[in-house]
Amino acid sequence: MHRTLWNTLAAAALVGLAGLSGCNKPADENATKTGGGTGGAAAASYTFGVIAKSQSNPVFQAARTGAFDAAKAIEAEHGVKVNIRWETPSDEDAQAQAQRIGQLTAASVDGITVSCTDAALLTPAINDAVDAGVEVVCFDSDAPNSKRFAYYGIDDVEAGREVMRQLAEAMGGSGVVAILAGNQAAPNLQARVRGVVEEAENFPDISIGYTFYHPETAADAANKVQQEQQANPDITGWAMVGGWPLFTTNALDGVHEVAKVVSVDHLAEELQYVRDGQVQALIGQDCYGWGYETVMMLFNKVHNGESPEQVINTFELQIVNQENVEDFADIWKKWVPNG
Amino acid sequence: MSEDATAALSPRSGKSLFRRLASAQESGLLFVIAMIMLGLTIFGGTTQQTVIDQETGQALRGDDGRPVRRDVNTFLNSRNLILLANNASFIAVMAVAMTGVIVTAGIDLSVGSIYALAGIIGAEIINNMPPDSGGLFAAMGLILVACAAGGVLGLANGAMIVGFRLHPFIITLGTMSVYRGITLLLTKGQTVSGLPGAIQPGFFKADFGLGAAHPMNTLIMVLVAVLGWFVLRYTVFGRRVFAVGGNETAAKYAGVPVGRVLILVYTLMGVAAGLAGAMAVGYFGAATSGAGQAYELRVIAGAVIGGASLTGGRGTAFGAVLGTVVIELINNAITILEIDTNYLYVVTGGAIILAAVIDRLKQGLQAR
Repeated sequence: MHRTLWNTLAAAALVGLAGLSGCNKPADENATKTGGGTGGAAAASYTFGVIAKSQSNPVFQAARTGAFDAAKAIEAEHGVKVNIRWETPSDEDAQAQAQRIGQLTAASVDGITVSCTDAALLTPAINDAVDAGVEVVCFDSDAPNSKRFAYYGIDDVEAGREVMRQLAEAMGGSGVVAILAGNQAAPNLQARVRGVVEEAENFPDISIGYTFYHPETAADAANKVQQEQQANPDITGWAMVGGWPLFTTNALDGVHEVAKVVSVDHLAEELQYVRDGQVQALIGQDCYGWGYETVMMLFNKVHNGESPEQVINTFELQIVNQENVEDFADIWKKWVPNG
Repeated sequence: MSEDATAALSPRSGKSLFRRLASAQESGLLFVIAMIMLGLTIFGGTTQQTVIDQETGQALRGDDGRPVRRDVNTFLNSRNLILLANNASFIAVMAVAMTGVIVTAGIDLSVGSIYALAGIIGAEIINNMPPDSGGLFAAMGLILVACAAGGVLGLANGAMIVGFRLHPFIITLGTMSVYRGITLLLTKGQTVSGLPGAIQPGFFKADFGLGAAHPMNTLIMVLVAVLGWFVLRYTVFGRRVFAVGGNETAAKYAGVPVGRVLILVYTLMGVAAGLAGAMAVGYFGAATSGAGQAYELRVIAGAVIGGASLTGGRGTAFGAVLGTVVIELINNAITILEIDTNYLYVVTGGAIILAAVIDRLKQGLQAR
């Protein structure tokens, strides 16, 4: 009897809720905002979603710090509250990113900043968000054919070229290079690989012997490097278009003794490899700026109606070597305070 | 409906139809769903949602160029509810078929890999269609090819389980890796995009006049749930599935072709995974080799929370859908209440354990 009564109440509640879902209050531009969104005039608060590729990659934790710091800076300078929604999947999953873009759009956030795990799959989701009035900017990995209004990151081809230039110098201009390339479907990594290959043509005694793809976790990347060095002892140089293996310790055991290594990214863990001479150079990215600068772009777009002067916004590459490694040591304490 | 409800629904049970429905197993899940929805409606607050122009499908803009917005309940609005149902649909379609597998006391760990591989095959085939192909034509082509591919992969699972007489866990653990490897070999890690342009607006993202909401995958989910209920409840095959799960030896001696039943169950599981893969490819507009990673856990969770017993003999199609909806509601709650998204894993795991414990307690009570 009681079970039937409760189930009857449940059914009635469901029917009532279904009926109520079609009833919404008419537009009220002067209504107090809850949960983000603007009315006709510039609003007192905004909500921005931040969707990086994965939570397990520490570079994106720096982006997270940057985004929250930008929100604080905006409130301090303009008196406007910015609410940051960190909606990054735990692991790289393009479909999960697309679904989160959809959820944020349905929640009517004011803007989204996203690093695309897969540009082809995310482009329709980004376009739907923009069509629904949500401003979108990309960082780190772009969706160039989407309706995003800007991109912030490195010139990936140039980054690949710089990796090869630094590696060629370390190798003395000759040898066999292996490229550690990460996710084969990521457009930013594809561009970096292209840069490495193109720059290698300027060194006739250097050949690109191998290109290795792997899951973008530190353990998988470190295993890949060590195994392939063992299997291919002719490798005398590693061009890492991402620093994944260097997020762990001892990743280059059996490697640094026989090959030179240059990598993109300059996380705190990677600096020790430079100090120890196992890595000859690191090409640093403004990971903190991924979050900070893109939140600023979103704010200027929704609050002032202003877009950046250029759609593609790149920053200068930072070269880290044994001579200047200590200058970069403190950066990560700010970028990942709890790391 | 469950076996327990079968007797209750018999015309000879002496109860009114209303009381019989209200006491059915799925009603408990409906109660949970209703309570979660009520809580989110109350505690989710309101938000200012962009108004969408029905004709253009784009945001209405005021004289100042900013989007026009209106106050809506953050949870209880059509756009959010349809999105929630759509997000659940990929897993729910597979959970319906997984219920049949679990009823036979089996398991299929390869569904995520079949989801990805079937989607890739479907996308590759329809990419050969003329770019101006109609949306319905392209969608049907994608669904048919993906279902056929999934069916073949599922048939392989079933044939190996029956032929080698190995536990389904072992076979499908192996094929989970094999099918994923084939996906990567076929695509070399690249995404398959460039589908016929009309496939999204013409079918998978047809809005039915709802603006930014696209309910097609939800409708497919409902259709699959009805089909699954009918097959398990009213067909000879359905009765045999329960017979095999209840006691395989007894079923065999009763003349049930156990091997054929199992092969068909896993084939249908593959078809469902292929259908889910096609739904994802059509909705998101591309097929990726990494799709469906760890989906087998979510599919099994949906079926188990929906009442399927891992010891076999119990489970319902509607329960599987409702179980998946519960998980998606929790995900939606985390989004709306702005809770750390990683809590989803904690809550989902807890829900699976709770569902299994409740199932064991119910079996213990019924045995007395």
